[in-house]
Amino acid sequence: MLRLAPALLWFGLAAVVALPLATAPAQERARQRSPAPQAAKLSFVGLADKAQVPGKLTVRFAITGMDVAPAGQAKRNAGHHHLLIDTELPPLDRPIPSDFNHIHFGGGQTEAEIALSPGRHTLQLLFADHDHVPHDPPVMSERITVEVATEAPEKPRSTAAPGARVFFVDLADGATIPARSRIRFGSEGITLTPAGTASPNGGHHHLLVDTELPALDREIPSDFNHLHFGRGQTEVELSLAPGEHTLQLLMGDHEHVPHDPPVMSDRIRVRVVADGSVASATPPQATTGGGRARTTSPNDAALYFIYPKDGETIFPTSTIRFGLRNMGVAPAGVAKPNTGHHHLLVDAEPPAFDRPIPADLNHIHLGGGQTEYRLTLPPGRHTLQLLLGDENHVPHDPPVASERITVTVMPGGPRAARRR
Amino acid sequence: MTRPAAIAALLAVLAAWPGLAAAQTTAPRQKAPEGAQVYFHYPLDGLRVPERFTVRIGLRGMGVAPAGVAHARTGHHHLLIDTDPGPPDQPIPSDYNNIHLGNGQTEVVVTLPKGRHTLQLLLGDHTHTPHDPPVMSQKITVYVR
Repeated sequence: MLRLAPALLWFGLAAVVALPLATAPAQERARQRSPAPQAAKLSFVGLADKAQVPGKLTVRFAITGMDVAPAGQAKRNAGHHHLLIDTELPPLDRPIPSDFNHIHFGGGQTEAEIALSPGRHTLQLLFADHDHVPHDPPVMSERITVEVATEAPEKPRSTAAPGARVFFVDLADGATIPARSRIRFGSEGITLTPAGTASPNGGHHHLLVDTELPALDREIPSDFNHLHFGRGQTEVELSLAPGEHTLQLLMGDHEHVPHDPPVMSDRIRVRVVADGSVASATPPQATTGGGRARTTSPNDAALYFIYPKDGETIFPTSTIRFGLRNMGVAPAGVAKPNTGHHHLLVDAEPPAFDRPIPADLNHIHLGGGQTEYRLTLPPGRHTLQLLLGDENHVPHDPPVASERITVTVMPGGPRAARRR
Repeated sequence: MTRPAAIAALLAVLAAWPGLAAAQTTAPRQKAPEGAQVYFHYPLDGLRVPERFTVRIGLRGMGVAPAGVAHARTGHHHLLIDTDPGPPDQPIPSDYNNIHLGNGQTEVVVTLPKGRHTLQLLLGDHTHTPHDPPVMSQKITVYVR
């Protein structure tokens, strides 16, 4: 060991000295490309050159004569797929770049869903070894051109009856409203159906706040300016900053796409004044610090208990674990779309959804972004429920809550109960 | 390829590594609270799973925050598939083996080909850099059937 050390040092010094000269060519040569069998063939499945494709499509890859192995696993005659979109072949003697034009499937995936903008695009598959370096000879598909139709959308828009219309109830152009007010929507000649439910001549409301009409041939965006009422709601409690605002209603079908012809109201102008200047039936509530309405949540968001399950018997001190689908967790005070923080309701009815969740022993706030909580309960039956709150502790719209479960706390825990 | 050239290249890389690391670490890493732990609710080590499955992530002693949110005692999850964690003082790379859950997600649906795969969880701070000490799960093996 001692005798080796000076030798190593010497080598190291030599290497540092040789670095500027030796590195580049040496590294290129060091990356010996993995050999590929001559018969290996890579192709797209069911996607031909000059095909007309929808904007969102699943591309499937077929490799014959070689195996698929995740990146990082050096295996003979194996590799993983790369999809090149709108780009030439990269240099074949070095790792394939990783960016929006060079999509890596390092997990060994053999299909992918991609989204393409309208127009012509080129697609090519390139197989590469565990280091993302193409084989020798390179295994690639032919470069095909696909066209995403500019005009024709994926599917025809839902049709609306000729007389269908939507309108604001008791709210006219130029009205003056308080900073927090209830906006009601009406509809005529069209059925209100929740998002996701396809029905002829049906749809749900969207309220456009301070924004132009969106493109009518695609999904209405979901953000602070485009409020979705996917449960078929016909009113909303809206908070607006004092000043001039515009409001417009637009009906969307089960996939949030406007109808053909579009069913929409006039874009009306309202003047919002600070609370107290206008006599209002709905008194202002202490809530959001300048946000408008309640924070919206995706329709497929779900909140659930990982532990315990409904009806289970638990220890007096147990770790309650929360699961959240299709949304993210953010600490209280962090405003980010599609996030919130957990609240654990113990032996409490769900609170009002339009104001901050109370903070007491029955409403446990996990404002630090925690996803589990160690809870101590007296023996007996208890109910637990989860409710997500936004950055101001106000439930989302629609509220993201778990089912309310019942658990039994045994003095000695579940094992004692079983032994009985 | 000649052997001396290969050795020289190797040593060159070794010599350059610490320098690189030192140059890229500017901000001190966030401290992880004692006892912080990230773990799998599902799947568990050695489990057989379908090709498409949901990975559920548990976190003890810390909170989740989206990437970019610098709050003490928080981080966001990264799922490492068939790969080892990189140097702990460097941001976690973003590719198909290192899945970032930057919106604060606590579960993710993955699709993997049939066979043996390894999964590991690693918490990253607002800059995607692991904490000090790194908060990571054990590396588990699943069999996709």
